[in-house]
Amino acid sequence: MIDSKLKRKQIIVCLVLTVLLFLAVTWSITSGEYKMDLSAYLKTLIGQGEFKDNLILMEFRMPRMLITLLAGMALSMSGAIIQSITKNPLAESGILGINAGGGFAIAVFIVIGQVNPNTFIYVLPLISAAGGILTALLIFLFSYNKGKGISPVNMVLIGVGLSAALSGGSITMMRKFNEDQAEFIAAWMAGNIWGDEWPFVLAFLPWILIIIPFLFFKSNSLNIINTNDQTAKSLGVNLDKERLILLIASVILSSVAVAVVGSIGFIGLMGPHIAKSFVGPRHQLFLPIALLTGAFLLVVADTVGQTVLPIGTIPAGIVVAIIGAPYFLYLMYKTNAV
Amino acid sequence: MNRLTGRNLTIAYGNKVIIEDLDIEIPDKKITSIIGPNGCGKSTLLKALCRLLPIKKGKIALDGTDINKSASKEIAKKIAILPQSPEVADGLTVGELVSYGRYPYQKGFGRLVPEDVEVIDWALQVTGITEFKHRIINDLSGGQKQRVWIAMALAQKTDIIFLDEPTTFLDIAHQLEILELIKELNQKQQTTIVMVLHDINQAIRFSDYMITMKDGEVITQGNIPEVLSSQLLAEVFQIDAELMQDKLTGKPMIANYQLVNRKYSKVEIK
Repeated sequence: MIDSKLKRKQIIVCLVLTVLLFLAVTWSITSGEYKMDLSAYLKTLIGQGEFKDNLILMEFRMPRMLITLLAGMALSMSGAIIQSITKNPLAESGILGINAGGGFAIAVFIVIGQVNPNTFIYVLPLISAAGGILTALLIFLFSYNKGKGISPVNMVLIGVGLSAALSGGSITMMRKFNEDQAEFIAAWMAGNIWGDEWPFVLAFLPWILIIIPFLFFKSNSLNIINTNDQTAKSLGVNLDKERLILLIASVILSSVAVAVVGSIGFIGLMGPHIAKSFVGPRHQLFLPIALLTGAFLLVVADTVGQTVLPIGTIPAGIVVAIIGAPYFLYLMYKTNAV
Repeated sequence: MNRLTGRNLTIAYGNKVIIEDLDIEIPDKKITSIIGPNGCGKSTLLKALCRLLPIKKGKIALDGTDINKSASKEIAKKIAILPQSPEVADGLTVGELVSYGRYPYQKGFGRLVPEDVEVIDWALQVTGITEFKHRIINDLSGGQKQRVWIAMALAQKTDIIFLDEPTTFLDIAHQLEILELIKELNQKQQTTIVMVLHDINQAIRFSDYMITMKDGEVITQGNIPEVLSSQLLAEVFQIDAELMQDKLTGKPMIANYQLVNRKYSKVEIK
C-alpha cells in the first residue's frame, strides 16, 4: 500500500545520496597532507596507480574511510531503531548515555584489564558493547513503571543523567591513567576517529554485516511498534520481547561503532530524521536512506575536521556536534510545538 | 455457548485491584456496549477481554482456548482492537497504516501478497476512505482518522472487533457516522462488536446487548430491553431519568434526567 510515487522518490534519493557520498569520499581521500589528484585517485582505485599512491590509498586512507563510512551507517541505523522502539524522536545512543556507557567500560578496561596489543582492537568492541548494553538495561530498569510499562520520557531523562554520570566517571578515572591513556580517553570522548588501520575494519565489519541485515529484516515489526503500544499488542507483536531484542541489537551496533571512532553523537539523530523527511516513517523505505545519510554526514564531518585548520585537526565528533546540537534544539522545539 | 467468555476474572493495575471475581460473556454476532460511570473499570474490562491487559486471576477463553496463553498473532486474526485516541508516527499515510492490519498474516519482511492488497482495498472502501489512501494521517480530521483506524482493524479480517470509546473527541455528526459504520459491519459481516461508550442513548440505540458496570462490578448484563430500567440508571449513574420511546428507532431513550443526589444544585452560587 505504498504509493508508487514514494517508492520512486526513495530510489531517486538513494541514487543522489550515493553520488554525494562518492563525491564526499573522493574529496576526503584526495585531501590531506599529501594531496592526491583526481586522476591518480581514480587510477589507483581501479588498480592502475603508482606505488606511492597505492600505498597511501590502500594502507592509510582506505581503511580510515571504510571505518568512517561503516560507523556513520551504524550510528544512524542504531539511532533510527532506538527512536522507533522508544517512540521518542530525540532518542539516540549519544543522548541516552549508551555511548558514555561504552566509553566508561573502555576506561575501566584500560585501568584494570590486561591490555594485550594484539587482541586489543578485537576486544574493544566487545567491551564497549557490554558497557552499552548494561547502560541500556539500567535505563530500561529505571524507566520501567509497573503497570504502565516503559515511559519514553523517563527513558530519555534517565539516559541524560546516566550519560553525565558515566562521562564524569570516565574523567575521574583518568587520574589513574598514564599520559598516553589519558590522551586516548580524552580524544575518544571528543569523537576522534582513531581506528584507522585494516585490523579495525576487520574487527568492526562482522558486527555490521550481521546486525544491519537483521534490523532490516525487522522492518515490518518496527513499523508496528512505531504506531502505539496498544495497536502493536493488538496486532500480535510481543512488545516487551521485541523491544528488548531490538534495543540490544541497536546498542551493540552503536557501541562497536563508538569503540573505533570515539564517542560521536547526533549522527543517530540527524540521519534518521533527514531520511524520514524524504519518505516518511515506513522502515523499509527510510532505513536505506538513513544509512547513506549517516555515512555521508560522518565522512563530511571528518574531512572538514581534518582540513579546516591550517595546522592540526578537529575531532569528527566535535564537527558533528556543531551541526548536530542546533539540530537537536530544533527537533526539541518542533516536538514541543506539536 | 458464546465464543468469548471470562470466568472469575481479577484484573489489577500493579497492586491496585480494579475488578475482582467477575464472570462475563460476550454474545456472538451482536453489538455489546459496556457502560458505566468514570472509573468503573469498563475500559479495564475491555482491555483485559482482548488481552491488552494481563489478568491476575481467572481465565478468558476464545473458542475454548485461553487467550493469554495463545500466540498473540493468532488472537490478532480473531480479535481486532481500536484503542482510545491512538497516536501514530508523523508522516504515515492512510494506506500504510491500513496495511499494518495485515501484520498477523505476514512473515518476515512484510511483503504484501495480492490477497493482502485486496483486503486493504476492501477495508478502505467499506470505511469510505479510498480517496485518502495516500494522505498523511495526521493531516486528517478526527472523524476521518477514526475511520482510518477502523479500516486498519477491518484489514485484520477478524470476527470480533473491540472499540474503546470510538466516538470521543468527535462532533455529533461524526459520532453518528462512526456508529452507523459499526452497525453496518455488524449487520453485513456478522462481526461481533464490543465497545465502551460514554453516551447512554447512543449505547442503547446502536447496541443489542449491554453490560453496565459500577465500582469494578458488573451490575447487569443482557439484552437492552430486559436490563434497562430507571432503577438501573439511578443505581449505576446516580441519575433520575425518564425512559421514553425514541420515535426514530423504536428503542428506549433516556430523557429529563437529573442527579439523584442533587448536592451540586444546592450549593449557593454567589
